[in-house]
Amino acid sequence: MGSTFGSLSTALTALYAQRRGLDVTGQNIANANTDGYSRQRVDLQAVGAPTTPSIWSKYDGSGGGVNVSALERIRDAFLEVRAQVEHGNLNSLQTQKSTLATVEQTLSEPGDQGLQAQLAEFWSAWHDVANNPGDIAARSQLLQRATTVASSFNRVYTGLDAQWTNQAQQLSTMVDDVNATAARVADLNQAIMRGNQAGTPTAELEDQRDSLIMHLSDMAGATTRAGHDGGIDVYIGGTALVAGSTSARLAVDPSNASPNARADSLTNAVANSASSLGSGGVHVVWEGRGYDAALSGGQAGATLMALNSTLPGIATQLNTLAQQLATAVNDQHAKGADLDGNRGTALFVDSTSSTSPPSTAVTAKTISVGFTDPRMVAAAAQVANPAVPPIPPFVPSLDNGNANALAALATSATGVDAVYRKFIVDFAVQSQTVSQRVDIQAATATNVDSAREAQAGVNLDEEMVNMMQFQHAYEGASRLMNAIDSTLDTLINRTGLVGR
Amino acid sequence: MSGAFRITQRSVGQQVLINLQGNLDTLGRIQDKLSSGKELSKPSDSPTGTVESMQLRGSMRREQQYARNLSDGLGWLNTIDSALTTSSTQLQRVRDLVVQGSSTGSQDPNARAAIALEVNAIKQSLIGVANTQYVDRPVFGGTTAGAVAYDATATPPASPWATATQANPEVYRTVGDSQIPTPASGWTPPPDGSVVSVSVAGHKVFNTKSDGSGTDLFTLLDRISADLTGNTNGLSQDLGDLDAAMKNITGTLADVGARTNRLEQMQQNNASRVQSLTSQLSEVEDIDLPKTLMELSMRQTAYQAALGAASRVVTPSLIDFLR
Repeated sequence: MGSTFGSLSTALTALYAQRRGLDVTGQNIANANTDGYSRQRVDLQAVGAPTTPSIWSKYDGSGGGVNVSALERIRDAFLEVRAQVEHGNLNSLQTQKSTLATVEQTLSEPGDQGLQAQLAEFWSAWHDVANNPGDIAARSQLLQRATTVASSFNRVYTGLDAQWTNQAQQLSTMVDDVNATAARVADLNQAIMRGNQAGTPTAELEDQRDSLIMHLSDMAGATTRAGHDGGIDVYIGGTALVAGSTSARLAVDPSNASPNARADSLTNAVANSASSLGSGGVHVVWEGRGYDAALSGGQAGATLMALNSTLPGIATQLNTLAQQLATAVNDQHAKGADLDGNRGTALFVDSTSSTSPPSTAVTAKTISVGFTDPRMVAAAAQVANPAVPPIPPFVPSLDNGNANALAALATSATGVDAVYRKFIVDFAVQSQTVSQRVDIQAATATNVDSAREAQAGVNLDEEMVNMMQFQHAYEGASRLMNAIDSTLDTLINRTGLVGR
Repeated sequence: MSGAFRITQRSVGQQVLINLQGNLDTLGRIQDKLSSGKELSKPSDSPTGTVESMQLRGSMRREQQYARNLSDGLGWLNTIDSALTTSSTQLQRVRDLVVQGSSTGSQDPNARAAIALEVNAIKQSLIGVANTQYVDRPVFGGTTAGAVAYDATATPPASPWATATQANPEVYRTVGDSQIPTPASGWTPPPDGSVVSVSVAGHKVFNTKSDGSGTDLFTLLDRISADLTGNTNGLSQDLGDLDAAMKNITGTLADVGARTNRLEQMQQNNASRVQSLTSQLSEVEDIDLPKTLMELSMRQTAYQAALGAASRVVTPSLIDFLR
């Protein structure tokens, strides 16, 4: 038989448990709109008979009430891992997209400001010179247009260079952010591991840690693995950024030094050194270890890719174009004679060089026009004048053969215009592909986020129902207590009064 | 969202927000197209459209330049045409004078001397015609750097073209695209007709023979003048040479006329090509206004509907219905 007051104790456990339930419902409702909050649930467990039967004493009660066995935080760890991967990819693609969009703005094609239009004007100016080889105005116009083409190359290159510097600084800031976040994750790991060892609730700390880890995935494509005692280890490219309660640090090395030559004590000095587009790669290394971090995902990964391959790749193609233009024009120009019968000198030169280097030394950054005297435009074909050796000077004439030949470069199937168009198309396809991939990846990430929200989000209807359930159960338990009270009252105060 | 999912107020709200943003994004893009009037604003909008647009713009720029080259070329040919017509008229006058002078019976020496004077005057005038300029360049001088095609002070007046050492003494105008690359040895007019000559060699026109190997016109006129005052027997030979020179000029006039016709034909073709390129470019780059406006109003309706739906979906929860 159970104890006389056993049922009172049962009612009391019920009151405790239902009130705890109401508390948790309240917490859920309070955090219905909190970012990263995972709904919680009280796990109630009926208190039953002792599990070990004994010989001399036998339990024949109906159970000892209810017990709050655990406070469960509802979140799917596998969905979290998937979300980290998808978020890392999405952020990487979005950063790539914005890099390419900025380049697109710099190129300003198709339009009247683009290089294509400037080149067309330049070739056209050769026709004008061909129409009027003796006209100084036509020749000056040609030199002006050549200057415009050269400065268009300079402008695009300078734009790319500025973008490079900007992104290098951003990378440094991102690495700082990753380091700070990783340190906080390690701190939280320690708090959670201690909490778990001591049996105190850690749900809110875990929510906070999940948000921070998601931030690490966004920034650097970090992935996770569960550690012991509820800790979570965070990895970047297979190396641990956070292991339990310790965290490593990343650093940006703009020097492009080989791993062996790198100072072990390298810290994340902002990439403010002399490095620029074309000065070599940027590395993200593990601070104090000297080797490269395999950083490929997230915003930082995409930024690193832009710094090391996308922007330098475009710059290289521009340099090749500038070289090709300089070579084609200078070679043909040298086959002509100017108004005074002299051989044509290089029209496009390297502005940084005082000597006359080959046309192949010209880059998009340094291309400029080699002379300012319009008489030096070699529009005429060379005709040797045997009467006045040595040759040159040639016979000065208003021949326009060389100007025609230069104008004809515009339609050459392998000429600068055709190569430039191919470059623009290749680039446009790349940009369009990334754009489409962003859309697809965004849909995937949204799906995973919905799944996470479906799992962990607070549904107010559900909480209302829970609240009613707990309220009614609480009322029921109070009623039970009342019932037992009045039963005992009857037993104690009303019995044994027969005949009084 | 599938039915298997647990739906929360927050997820509904987020989904509504994502959908609204998607609608607004599309709306913004259409507005952008409408306000700029361009279907293509950056290469990634359409890579193929971009390359087509760049090619069309390049072709257009070249055709516009060819139009200028053509009108410049026509200027040369028209100048040459009128100069040659003038010379032809003046030579006709010389011929009349020679015929007049050779009728010895009716002419006394003084009268012949007067005729000789007129022939001399015509010769001077013809040197002027032979030095006719177009935009400061003598049209019969080819690529000479000097201001005259014939030096009037020399006897006979010398043509720089005759002694020209240029590779191509003719004046060329590019009037079309050529796919033939310039030979390494130097530029020559490509054989595909994309480049035409707009000049006439003075020393070949003002000559009794069309290859310039005969007597030149000014020497002939000097001889006629001398024969009129002295050797009247030579006049019949002079008359024959004069006829040959006139025939040469008439032949050249016909050639110039044919070239003028060809250039005019090309000018018309060029104009229609520019027009068709403009419409092609517009087709590639510009928006279809009615279609875009239609799209805009459809999108606006969809956006408004989404906003309306959002205001109804997000509000209710069980709280509204509990006591």
